[in-house]
Parts: sequence; structure tokens; C-alpha cells
Amino acid sequence: MRLQPVDVEVRGLHRRFRDTVAVADLSLLIERGEFFTFLGPSGCGKTTTLRMIAGLLEPDEGEVRFDGRDVTRVPPWHRNIGMVFQNYALWPHMTVHENVAFGLVERRVPRGEIGGRVEEALRLVGLEGMGGRLPSQLSGGQQQRVALARAVVIEPALLLLDEPLSNLDAKLRVQMRNELVKLQRQLGITTIYVTHDQEEALMLSTRVAVMHRGHLMQIGSPQDVYERPADPFVADFLGGANFLAGEVQSVTGGGVAVALEGGEVVRASAARNTGFAPGDRVTVCLRPEALELVPADEAAGGGNLLHGVLRLRNYLGWLMTCEIELRGGALIRAQAANPRVQLRFAEGAPIAVRFSPEDVLLLRNPA
Amino acid sequence: MDPGHAALMALLLAILGVFVVLPIGAVLKVALTGAEGGVTLSHLARFFVTPLYMESLANSIVAGLWTVAIGTVLALPLAFVVARYDFPGRMLVVTLATLPLVIPPFVGAIALMQIFGRAGTVTLLAQDLFGLRLNIMEGLRGIILAQALHFFPFIFLTVTTALVNVDRSLEEMGQMMGAHGWRLQRRVVFPLVLPSYVAGALLTFVKAVDDIGTPFILGFKNMLGPQAYLRITTVGRDDVDGYVICVIMVIISIVCVLASNWIVSRREYATLQTGARAPEQGRTLRGWRLAGVLGLCAAIIGAGLVPHLGVVLLSFSKVWSLSYLPSAYTLGNFAEIFLRAPRFVVNTLVYSVGAALLAVVLAAAIAYLLQRGRVPGKGVLDWIAMMPIALPGVVVGVGFLRVFYGITLPGIDQPLAATWVIFVLAYMVRRLPYALRASHAALHQVHPSLEDAAGVSGAPRLRAFRRVVLPLILGGVVAGGVLVFVTAAVEFSATIILVSRIEQSPLAYGIYVYSQSALGRGAAAALGVVAIVIVALGTYLANRLSGRGKMAFTL
Amino acid sequence: MRTLVRSMTLLVAIAMVAGGVFLSPARTSAQTQQVAVITSFPKELFDAYKAAFEKANPGWTMAVVPKPTSAAITHVRERAARPDVDIFWASAVDAFIFLKVNNLLEKYAPPAEFRRGVPDKVAGFPINDADGFFHGFAVSGYGIMWNKTYLVRNRLPAPKEWDDLVRPEYFGHLVITAPSRSGTTHLTVETILQGYGWQKGWELLIQMGGSMGTITERSFGVPEAVIAGHYGIGVVIDFFGLSAIASGQPIDFVYPSLTSIVPANVAVIKGAPNPEGARRFINFLLSDEGQRLLFKPEIARLPVRTTLYAEAPKGIPNPFKMQAGVQFDADLSAGRYNVTNRMYDQIITFRHAELKRAWEAIYRAEKSVAAARAAGRDTTEAERLLVRARASARYVHVSEKMAAEVSGGMDRDAAYRSAKEREWGEVARTSYAQALQLATQADDLARRR
Repeated sequence: MRLQPVDVEVRGLHRRFRDTVAVADLSLLIERGEFFTFLGPSGCGKTTTLRMIAGLLEPDEGEVRFDGRDVTRVPPWHRNIGMVFQNYALWPHMTVHENVAFGLVERRVPRGEIGGRVEEALRLVGLEGMGGRLPSQLSGGQQQRVALARAVVIEPALLLLDEPLSNLDAKLRVQMRNELVKLQRQLGITTIYVTHDQEEALMLSTRVAVMHRGHLMQIGSPQDVYERPADPFVADFLGGANFLAGEVQSVTGGGVAVALEGGEVVRASAARNTGFAPGDRVTVCLRPEALELVPADEAAGGGNLLHGVLRLRNYLGWLMTCEIELRGGALIRAQAANPRVQLRFAEGAPIAVRFSPEDVLLLRNPA
Repeated sequence: MDPGHAALMALLLAILGVFVVLPIGAVLKVALTGAEGGVTLSHLARFFVTPLYMESLANSIVAGLWTVAIGTVLALPLAFVVARYDFPGRMLVVTLATLPLVIPPFVGAIALMQIFGRAGTVTLLAQDLFGLRLNIMEGLRGIILAQALHFFPFIFLTVTTALVNVDRSLEEMGQMMGAHGWRLQRRVVFPLVLPSYVAGALLTFVKAVDDIGTPFILGFKNMLGPQAYLRITTVGRDDVDGYVICVIMVIISIVCVLASNWIVSRREYATLQTGARAPEQGRTLRGWRLAGVLGLCAAIIGAGLVPHLGVVLLSFSKVWSLSYLPSAYTLGNFAEIFLRAPRFVVNTLVYSVGAALLAVVLAAAIAYLLQRGRVPGKGVLDWIAMMPIALPGVVVGVGFLRVFYGITLPGIDQPLAATWVIFVLAYMVRRLPYALRASHAALHQVHPSLEDAAGVSGAPRLRAFRRVVLPLILGGVVAGGVLVFVTAAVEFSATIILVSRIEQSPLAYGIYVYSQSALGRGAAAALGVVAIVIVALGTYLANRLSGRGKMAFTL
Repeated sequence: MRTLVRSMTLLVAIAMVAGGVFLSPARTSAQTQQVAVITSFPKELFDAYKAAFEKANPGWTMAVVPKPTSAAITHVRERAARPDVDIFWASAVDAFIFLKVNNLLEKYAPPAEFRRGVPDKVAGFPINDADGFFHGFAVSGYGIMWNKTYLVRNRLPAPKEWDDLVRPEYFGHLVITAPSRSGTTHLTVETILQGYGWQKGWELLIQMGGSMGTITERSFGVPEAVIAGHYGIGVVIDFFGLSAIASGQPIDFVYPSLTSIVPANVAVIKGAPNPEGARRFINFLLSDEGQRLLFKPEIARLPVRTTLYAEAPKGIPNPFKMQAGVQFDADLSAGRYNVTNRMYDQIITFRHAELKRAWEAIYRAEKSVAAARAAGRDTTEAERLLVRARASARYVHVSEKMAAEVSGGMDRDAAYRSAKEREWGEVARTSYAQALQLATQADDLARRR
């Protein structure tokens, strides 16, 4: 396949549905060959953005550019894009072959050439020889592959994927995810992916844009957004987090000391949390997997130690999550990948959580 | 708002305005305008102090109620047996029980006269064997019998569907609480099925009041529809009373349809919810119970098929006078309607096909706007297009006559109402709701993403519509069209008002004309056979196309 | 999106317009000329004439508007400003007189060749309108038809004369249509009134009314009921009986000795859109070919051209040779037209239930009395009551003189008319109720002991 990928730029994209703002003043640039993901809960505006990029929806304001060319008013059939829909949108009255060939027919590709290109696309997704079937005769995973073949067979400049894996069962989803990333790297095509699944986003993407209520919250590499979430929403949406309110006491080279509302002091690494001054109101953000449960009388040993009572244990075999009520009354979640250790503690027992200053992330409270 | 959509909506509104709103508006206007202009209720008030009209009102309502009552007596046992038991021939029973729908009640009436009338087969048998003097078809009774035998499948279908959809666990819960047998039915099942039944019964009532063909064929004039017709045709097109009667009919009809819709909208608790268990196979029957159930089915279905039998016999009869069966047979009746006077059949086909085509195009456009349109106020379109469901045929006919007699078509120098086009338009309006529902349902099946997918694959909207949407909705839309065709082919109420010359008259009026000539009953029955064949084939086709096992007639 | 919507809009528009335009000329082809005929005649008759007329006049088509006479008059009256029919074609002379008086007819004098062999009168009744507004094209007599099977099943003898119909054994087996609904029945009623005299005629009609199983809404309802066997004996115009016999039904028909013979007519509508077609149609109707068509078995009417009777099929009588027992007085009939019809409705049609009950009781009482007399009991008192009951059950409230007096007033004044009607109806109701009471008394008396 001879793909000529484009870069995609959106400027000031804005879209309302009746009284609700679906996408508010969105601007970003997606590089050529990138695997770019819009991540967010349902209703965050990610699909609306994708549909505006596809041309299926006209923005109220703003523009969409492919390689710098303004395509805002160009209808989808002239944008040369491939798209996979959440429900695959296979045409039930056409065979697999006809589905895949549809775009080639529309492009007036010579008849003799179509058969070969359809077969090639089907081979690419592992469905060689299935062209004669009807969509209704295929499994969910196979339908997904047909949708993918249909999207790439036209050698699009841009591939759009709208939650393509959400209708598959867990096992198949993992398998398809791997194949998808392989295919994208192999074709080198600019790909925009929409999902509400953080694992998919982190694993597939070169960059992730986290959206919330029509606004772009953060944009960056998977590691960026996970390690350095810009705000509590991003932190919580990506991986989950405990949030404790506090005030910066002192800032030294060794670390930042934050006094929690219960009076206990938490030390955070100064390297990771820069730009704070004593007196700043902050939110202390702790990932559950960074918290270690220890007996109540355990020594801090260079880490932070918070005391409380174990309220709830959820045993999942390979993983256990616990809820701890801190002395100040706040509830936090901890999570351990090796539950055998933690099973020692009974519900209702006094307990302490230990965590390293490296794992403490401070988020500045909005003024 | 999309300007293209707005333009399409304006066009559709204009069409519906002219052909739906204007006629009904004209009827209302005449009925509510005083002698010196201005709105008045005095004409309406006069209706209620005129003995003949009050008698007609009472007769119409009484006949409708009895039709529903007898229909219920025929339908309920059958529905219960079919929904609750499993026995050989169960599906055959379901199919046969819907057959009465293919025979228009005014056709059935001709046959019933021949079977149950003063000189009918059953009457003569009763007289000769038992010395009984039966008089089953006299006056209202004949109308009620003809309508009940035609309409009971409506009730049968609604109740069967409701019974099958009753969540079994609700019943089992009732059993665990200690109710069983008749008590279980009465305390758990009946209350669950009741709303569906009432909704179905109300619609049957509306259809029964709407049907003026049966009273006409049986020569009974003291009912609302016939009175409206008589006022308009013999007293004159400007006679206020005719319009007042129309308004009364509309009010009855609208009240019933609204009540029915309201009940249906509140009924969800009775039907399958998420997590509810699908209905199970019914209890298997054996021995004398099986014999009893089969006997019951045979008796009810037998009664329902009497009109079919009578019509076919009569259509081949040359002389059938005071004998159990015809005493001389002939093919002459079919020769008459196919060779000597084929215009009835030809006209019917032309009008019904025309009405179906127009209705389908309109309905598809309306459904598209309603589901995909980006234009404010599109609900009005739905509302107007569905309005004819509550408009009796007489009223449509009278409204059309009122409005379109004043409009002369350029070129042919005739009022629009005097040309045959008026039939196509009236049938189209009258059955538009059927087409609209079918288009609606069909388009609903097509997820918008299928169209989007075609768009991003490179197909502009029109090609996407043609290659993707159209093939997918075609079956349903055509099924709707066939339904329009079928119901238009046997439309009597609007026809009798609109027909002006015999050359233009369709089959339904032909049946009336033949039945009004002393020697024409055979030919009327032959036309009736044609009507049955058209309706039966069309219904079968519509069901095949729409891909549902359910009778599309219950739309 | 826009393209799709635009094409859809276009499609809808084209479908609507094309539906109207492309199809309409298919029916009203500009090449052929047509004549539109409004008629109360049955299908068999107008179908035969349509076929024959179109064959005899190439390039012409005949359109038919079938309506009952009263609805046909309304049709013509409502469209007087712009008529859409050319010809009015029906039996009842009264309808034509009404149209003529209301200035809705056009004069026409058919060429002499079409008037040859047509006498001025049949049995004393003028065949054509003296002023040339309408023309008789066929004549009919009135009589009695019956279903032979029905009479056998019910062991009834065949009737011969009008007064046979009041015999008790026919009770409930007769059928007639109201004269106000059917011009031909009006003439039958007039015939009986003129033949038997006003008083005796009405007594006969009232008692006959008591024996009617039903009184139908339209004249064809009578032959229909008799052919189907719903009732046994019908009072009809001759062609109903003759055509039923001709088509093999178990029917017989008789002209009573007191019958009259009157013409069925045709006229040109004033301002007819196709005057040429109208003239052609009337000429065809009066031509030998058109006249011969009347002999067809399913039509069975009697031509006005006397010369054709030589070729008449078997069973078709020649009215010009018949001894009509009644010299029909058309002026007398027309003068009291309203009174006769309204009286019939008020005292017979609308009081049919009461009348029937009264006569049923009388016939039952007569049987009881006969039985009592046979048993040797004294029946004087019962018989006396019966005589009073009979008189009351056929009481004629309006004398011939009164009828002549009120006739004019009834035509002019609606309030006067409805007052008179109410009066007649009330008198009839009380008389019949009284008859019922007397007859019941007589019956009780005769059965006592």
C-alpha cells in the first residue's frame, strides 16, 4: 500500500448541541504518522471532535486542516479518510468483499484492480478468503477486521477509529489491540483513536489528549499524562488516585512538606513537585498502587506514614484493594499486587500506610 | 437548521396542508359557522335534539359496542388457547384466525345475507328441521354480525401478543403466592393483558363506526355514516347537518384513538422488561382436553370463514333463491366483471397503485426528516401525517368534496373532485399513516453510521442513500406501500362520497352498484372474490417484505 | 446532505405533479367526445345502452352518473350554474316535471324520423311533454311479481288483483317501496287510487300496508327481496318482473286488470356541456336500434315505437293493445302529488309497525272468532268489535276534497305542511292503536270459555 499520511490541525473548534457545549474551543496539532488518542468519559466531546475531523459534522466555529489545507467545508467523501465505527457499520446487504470494495468502486478504481486490493486488505487483517460471506455470518472480531480492512483499503491519508474495540469481549479486545498497533506501525498512517479506556489509550498511543466536558484537559505522551497529570480529573481518570487537601509548610532541597487537614505532615519529592511556596493550598495526589499497608507500629523509615483503620478488603486473587479510614476521617484506597502480605490485616484493625516521597504528586488548587 | 431540510419540510407541510388539514378544516368550518358568519355551536346543538340523529348516534355506538363484545367473545378463548397451550395445528389456527381480515365487512355482509338472511341457508335449515323462524340479519343485528366476524382477529392478535409477552415470572410469582388456575388468570394474567385488550378494542370500535359499507349493503340508513352520506348527496353539498354529523364522527374517533394511545403508552409494565424471561412453550394438551380445544378452535374459525364461503358460492351462482345452496351455477358473474365491465377492477388497480406510490414517496420523505432532519418543528409533520388514522373515511370524502369541487384543473376544465385523480389523493391521505409507520420502522433499522460509513468511504450523500439506505429500507417501505394498496383497494367510505360517474368507480363502489340491482348479487360477489384475493395476496406480500411474522395489518 | 435533500424534495414534487398531470389525460382523451348521462336506471340497462351508443357513434363515449332519482335531482340542481351532465334519464315523470318547472331542462325536438310510429298517448297518458322538454322512450305498466319457490314453501296461492293482496294469508309476505322514494311506486299508488276511487283505494293501500313485511328505501329493493326470497310478493313496475323471469329466476309477474301504463323519459339538461352529444343520445334512444334494445331480456321494457311489437320476444306484452283498466289522469295525479306521497309516508311508511300489529291482531282475532263460531259459541259481540277494529285499522282521515284543498298550501308553506303531516301521523297512530285494542278484545272474547 502506498499511503501518504497527512498531519491534522484543528483550530478553535467549537460545537454546540442545543444548549450544551460538546466541544469548546479546541486547538491541537496531530503529527504525520502519529497514533493520537482522544481519551475521556462518555459525553466529553471526543467523538464529536472525531466526527468533525471526519466531516460528518460541521463545526459551529473553527477549522480543520489536513497538511495545512483547510478542509472544514469539504464533505467526508472528498477527504480521503478511513474510519472504523463503534458498531462497525458494515452494510448488512453486502458481502465482505462488497463492503471492502465499496470505497474503491466509489473512487472509480478499475475493475480489474479492485479484486486484488480487496484481497490484500483482507490478508492484512487476517481474513483472506472470507470475501463471500455476509457480515451476519461473521463473529464480532471478524466484523471488526472487515471494518478495518474497509477503512484501509482506500489507502487513506488518515485513519479514524471510534471506540472500535468496545464491543468485543475482554480477551479479544487485548488481541485486537495488539494487532491494531502492529498494523498502524506497519502502515505508518496518521491515526486518530477515540476511547474511554485508559489502558487502550496508554498502550496504543504516541500521544493522548484527555478531554472532559468539551474541554481539552491535558495533552502529552502516555507517560506524561499518567505520571504528571495536570489536574485531579486527569489523575483520577488515568489509573485512579486518592486526593487529600493540605497546605505547603516548607520547601527545602530535600522535599516539600505538606500539612494535611488532620495535622499529619507528608513529604513530597522536590524534584517532581517544583514551584511551590509555603502557604500554597494544594491537593496531595496518591496512586493506590504506591501505598503499602504496614502494621500500625511500623517505623516510617525515610518514607511517609499515615495512620488509620482498615475498613474494607477486596480480594481479587492477583490483586487486593483496601479502604483505609485515616485519622482525619478521609477514606483512601490502597492496592497491592501481591496480596499475601496484606492478608495479615483484618478488617477493623488499626493500620498504617507507607509511601515514598517520590510517589507524592502535589496539584495546585485553583485560586 | 439545515436549509435543505427546511425546504423539504415546507414542501411536505404544503402537501399535507392541502390534502389533510384543508379538507378537515373545511368540514369543521361549515359545521361551526353560523348563518351570519362567526363561530357557533348551534348547528352542533341541533344534532342533539334531532331524534333521527340521536337515533343514528345511538345505533352507531350500540353497533360498535356489540361488534367489540361479540368480537371479544370469539377472540378471547382463541387467544388464550393459542397463547397458553401447545397442540398440533396451533400455527394453522393462528393463520386461519387472521383470514377474516382479508374480507371487507361489506363483502362479507352480502354473503351473510345469503347464509343467515330471511331466505338464507341457515334460516331455511332451521325452519325446515326445527320449525324455527330465525331473523339473524334483521336491522342492526346483521351489521353487528358482519362486523364482528370481520374485526375479531384484531382483538385476537392484540390479546395473543399481549399474552405471549406477559413475563412468565410474574405468573410464577402469582403461583408461589398461592394463586392458581382461574384465580391466577383473574388476579394476575387478566390485569396484565387488560390494557392491550382495551386499546385493541377501542381501535376496533373506531373501525366499526368508520365502516359505512356494511350498513349500506344491508340497507340500514339510521347510523351516523349513512346519514352524513344521505344529507350530503340528497339534500346537498351545502347542507350543514351533513358536516355536523361528520364532526360528531371525528370527535368519537379522536377520543377513542387518543384513549387507545394513552393506554398503550402506559402499558409497558405488562410486557417483557430487561431481565424478564422469554415466554415458554405452552402446556402440551392430550386426550379430551385436546379434543375440546380443537373443537373450540374449529367452531370459532368456522364462524369466521362463513363469509368467505358464502361469497365464493354466491359468485358462482346463477340462481340462489330459497334454497340451501345455489340451484344453478355459472361463470357469467366473472365474465361480467372481467370481460363486460372490467373497469371496476382496472380502476381499483390504478387508484390503489397510485395511492400507494404517492404515499410511499411522501412517507419516506417524512420519515427521513423526522429521524435525520435538522429542522425545528418537525414533530408537527408527524402529527399531521398521522391524523388520518382518526379521521373516518366519510369525513375525508366529504372534506375532499368540499375543498376540491371548487378547484378546477387547468386543461381539462373539470373540478378536481370530478376527476379520478381525487380517488388516488383521498386513498393516499387516508392510508398515509400506514406507509409512514412502515417507513419509520424501516429507517429506524438503519443505523446512521451505515450512511456515515458510506460517506467516509467516498460516496456522496445521494449515492450513499441509493447504495446503502435504499436497499436496506426498501423491503419495509414497499411493505407499507402494499398495505396502502390493499386497504385502498377495498376502501368504501370515502369512495361512496367521492364517486360521481360509474366510469370512474372502483371495485368497492362496483360491489355496491351491483348489489343494488336486483340481479347483480352474483356479480357483486364475484367482485368480492377479487377483493379478497387482492387483500390476501397483498397482506401476505407485505408480511413477507416487512420480514415479520406478525400480521402487518395490526399496524 | 444537501444534494440528497434537494433530490428528495424534487422527487416528492415531481411525484405529486406527475401523478396529476401525466395520468389525467389518459382518461379524458381529447380526441373523443362524450355525453354524460345521469340516470336512476339499473346497471343492466345503462351498460347495454352505453355499449350500443358508443358503437353506433364512433368517436363518442357515454359517461354514466348513477344516482337514485332524488339524489340525481339534487346533483343537477347544485350544478345548475355549471352542469357536468348532459342528459337526465329516469322513469318518474314527476322528476322531469320538477326539473322543467325549475328551469333546469332544455327544449329539444327530435327529428321526425325518430318520432315516426310513436303515438301521442299510451292508455290515456301523454308520452311526450307537450312543451318538448322531455320525451318518453319506453312505457311500463304496474303489477305484482312473486317468487314461485317462496309461495310453494309457504303454501300460498298466486295473486291476480290488487285486492288479492289484503287476504290474511299474505300477511307479512308482501313488499313495496314508499311512493315518496320511487316515482314508479307513486304511479302505482295513483293507479290504485284512480282505479278504486279515493276512499276505497286508500283503505286498500292501508290494509295492504299492514300486510307488508317491509317497506324498502328504493324501488329495486322490492325485486331484490322477492328474487332473493326474503319476501314472497312485490308491488313493482313490470320490467323488474319481466327481466327476472328472462334471467331464469323462479319469478312470475301479472298485470292486474286495474293497471295503468306510463312512459319512462329522457331530457336534455339546460346548459349541457355537450349539447351535440345530448341530441345524439336522445336520437339513438328513439331510433329503431335503440328501441329494440329495450327487448333485451335483462332490460325487458316496452318500446314507444308501436311498429316494433311485431318482433317482440315471447312474454313481452304490447301495451298499446292492452286494456288498461285505469285511464290515468296525469293532471289529477300531478295536482295532488305531494299529498299522496306525504300521506302514504305519514300513515303507512312511518306507522308501519303500529299498522302491522293492528292487522296481525285482527287476523288472529278473526281466526279465533271463526273457531268459536265453529264450536257453536256466540260470537256476536266479538264480531261487532272486529268490525270496529277493521274500520279503525284502515281509517282514512283525509277525504279527496280535503286533499285537493290542502294540496296547494302544502306545496307553498313548509310550516303548514309539517303541521298537516303531524296531524295525519297522529290520527293514524291513535286509530291503529285503537284497532289493536279492539281486536285484542275481540280475540279475548272469542277465546273465552
